[in-house]
Amino acid sequence: MNMNIVETSGLGKRYGGTWALRECSLAIPAGHVAALVGPNGAGKTTLLNLTVGLAEPSAGAVTVLGGWPAGSPAALDGIAFVAQDTPVYKNLSAADMLHLTRNLNRRFDQPYAKARLGELGIPLNRKAGRLSGGQRAQLALTVALARRPRLLVLDEPVAMLDPVARHDFMAIVLTAMTDDGVSVVLSSHVLADLERVADYLVLLSHGRVQMAGEVEDLLATHRMLTGPAAEADRYAERPVVRVGRAEAQAHLLVRAGMNDPVPPGWEAHPVSLEELAMAYLREPGAGALPGPARSRNTQPSEVTR
Amino acid sequence: MTALTMPARPKHDAGLRPVPWRRMAWVTWRQHRAALGGVAVFLGAFAVYLWLTGLQMHHAYTADCHPASSVACTLNFTGRYATTGNVVSIFVQVVPALIGAFAGAPVLARELETGTFRYAWTQGIGRRRWTVAKLVLLAVAVAAAAAAFSALFSWYNQPFFAAGYVIPFSTRLFGLREVSFAAWTLAAFAIGALAGMLIRRVVPAIAATLAVYAGLALATALWLRQHYMAPLVTTKPNLPGSAWAVSQWYTKGGKFAFGAHGSGIANAVNQLCDNGNSGLSPGQCLSQHGYTVWTSYQPASRFWPFQWIEGGWLLALSVLLIAATVWLVRRRAA
Amino acid sequence: MDIDKHNGAAGGGAGASPASGDMYPGQHLRVSDAEREAVTDQLAEHFAAGRLDQAEFDDRVERAMSAKTWADLSGLFAGLPGTRAPAVPELPRGGGSAPGSPIEFRLDAASGVPTYLQLVHQVEHALRLGYLKLGDQLPKVRDVVASLAINPNTVLKAYKELEVKGLTAGRPGQGTFIQATLGQVALPELAGLHKSLLGWLGTADAAGLDEDGIVALFTSALRDFYKRRGGAGARRGAASGNTEGVA
Repeated sequence: MNMNIVETSGLGKRYGGTWALRECSLAIPAGHVAALVGPNGAGKTTLLNLTVGLAEPSAGAVTVLGGWPAGSPAALDGIAFVAQDTPVYKNLSAADMLHLTRNLNRRFDQPYAKARLGELGIPLNRKAGRLSGGQRAQLALTVALARRPRLLVLDEPVAMLDPVARHDFMAIVLTAMTDDGVSVVLSSHVLADLERVADYLVLLSHGRVQMAGEVEDLLATHRMLTGPAAEADRYAERPVVRVGRAEAQAHLLVRAGMNDPVPPGWEAHPVSLEELAMAYLREPGAGALPGPARSRNTQPSEVTR
Repeated sequence: MTALTMPARPKHDAGLRPVPWRRMAWVTWRQHRAALGGVAVFLGAFAVYLWLTGLQMHHAYTADCHPASSVACTLNFTGRYATTGNVVSIFVQVVPALIGAFAGAPVLARELETGTFRYAWTQGIGRRRWTVAKLVLLAVAVAAAAAAFSALFSWYNQPFFAAGYVIPFSTRLFGLREVSFAAWTLAAFAIGALAGMLIRRVVPAIAATLAVYAGLALATALWLRQHYMAPLVTTKPNLPGSAWAVSQWYTKGGKFAFGAHGSGIANAVNQLCDNGNSGLSPGQCLSQHGYTVWTSYQPASRFWPFQWIEGGWLLALSVLLIAATVWLVRRRAA
Repeated sequence: MDIDKHNGAAGGGAGASPASGDMYPGQHLRVSDAEREAVTDQLAEHFAAGRLDQAEFDDRVERAMSAKTWADLSGLFAGLPGTRAPAVPELPRGGGSAPGSPIEFRLDAASGVPTYLQLVHQVEHALRLGYLKLGDQLPKVRDVVASLAINPNTVLKAYKELEVKGLTAGRPGQGTFIQATLGQVALPELAGLHKSLLGWLGTADAAGLDEDGIVALFTSALRDFYKRRGGAGARRGAASGNTEGVA
């Protein structure tokens, strides 16, 4: 599958006078777990709502599943969405939710859903309002996956879950990816555990895309230089993302490949995804967008310090 | 576990068959069975009451009200049941409003308030079909229940009409009769649905529905209804049986003098008729002084045409409101 | 694996057993820890019964514990009466069904080492210690994903890396299998190396180096050693990571 599961060009959304999202141009390839990362209010939920057709763009366009307009019948058919706080009908039982979802969609794998709920120990006849938060989240995820979507969109899926529930939830999402080739787009404002799960990253800050790309590429093109603080300024002209400076020692997060020569007297280390994301989020001015090969929008703009 | 293989990309949208309408039948039932059940129980209990009391009334009428003007009738029928009948009709006035508010408003308001629309509107069926199917099914259901109920209510009131206690056009009862009642219930439901979509919270939407419905019902009863057809006008002092007197006024010498109520006529009666002490009724007295009384009225024969007119415009309004609701659903951003 | 089953499967008669010292088919196959232990238990019973004296018992136990193949076990029950081949309980396999992988992965989220590298290292480690042998299957991608909740592409990347190193080969529809081993160091040799390392560490500690200092010293010496041996290509079975500086 060599298509873009989500593609946006100049996408923007305005609520009243405020732009929740602006000039968002992305090309997320299929077969990945793409993580939307950013602080609260960065525009993650807005972008997800636009992708699943719950909101209409104020500017630009968004297409999904290789070119279908977001919100079109083909898009609705192939995308399953689990919103924040995993809304389920509190007065319906799990069995009712299965029946409901089966009626509202073309495809529904009832045996899979029943088997999954059985494995998770979620009773079929109890009203959803009386299930625990983790069980409700698993129920919402089960009905979503039973629709056999090509894309699963999750908005802060694990924010409310305890660590065990979190692990179980993600394990099911990822095995769906393995078994059926489902692509995943999820938003999170928790950076830990991201590297285990995500292989495509979109960093949002104040409604704009600050950085986007395959995690592998991002990690390969950044590293941390540690060296004497006195020399730190010498690198002002290099693409430096973040400077941490103490009296004697400075850390620079730079955009450079691992084969680029290390300046004498300096040490170079690879960065972790968490470190990288944190650094960019702390420097709203820094940005690194995908290169021309990956998107139709051929304007990679980097802001250098 | 079954892994389906899907084509890399469907050729075009038209190849994707839409989810059939009939699927929404179970969905609507399951999600709204509490409301529908509530309506059924409520109307059912009321119906039982009407049935039991109605049997008594019919029996009393048959026994004593031939002729209807007899003392026995007044004693055993009108005297015993008239007040009850009035009170009951007041309760029935409220029924369409309640049904509209509690069955109509939560349909969309609850989804929006609890956030479940984020589930419902991302399912394969699409939000348009989902909304249209739900609203139409529920509307038909409540209208049918109302129609059945009003048939029973008309039967209940039939002795009153036969005894001449009320006229067909009675303001109190017109809107509760056969066609009208179902139409008002439908309109209340449509108002509720739209209110739910606009207000997005259940309790305020219910309140708004009740308020809007009350306003509309009052405006219709007090003003609009009499204009469905141009009223007939007569100078005869007594109207044909069971006609509905819309308004009355006096002229003298071809010119308008004063209306049948108010300070104008009161002054005239004071001046000319010794304040009613002359032994004549105000009407006779005034006519002796050259005043002509005019009455505009709707004859009883127009009862059914009026029912259909009222039903018609309420139906059109309901369709319009439901269409507006669906249009808003399609437009609404999350 | 039951020795009897072994004999039966090979078509050998009931008479063939280690007790008689006969060679039997399957002698080249490797012995597992559990099987070694079962043999040792049997020897202990004989010792307790007084058929073996201390020296003989020690000797046979040592041979049992250092046995690599069934051939090595032959003769251990020489002279001992009525020995039936010990029935070794089948070890429960992690992940359920019988043909599974001998190993299971774990993840150290806080180690800072990329996930796929951790998986690669664990496979190499298992190969070195003998948990994985030629022909063994690596855990199915799906099982790894389900138990660790990691991205399947990561697992695929790790398995690809192992294939590039020539350690594994994928069989379409079946899984990934070990096709080469790392240079095996025998268990006694390992014990000896461990002992001499402890000695060196004692010296370093006495000289005043703390733990991080020791690690730094060792890492730079390691790098020097392999540089002298001829660069990264000569690293025998070592992982190639993008680590420079202090890990």
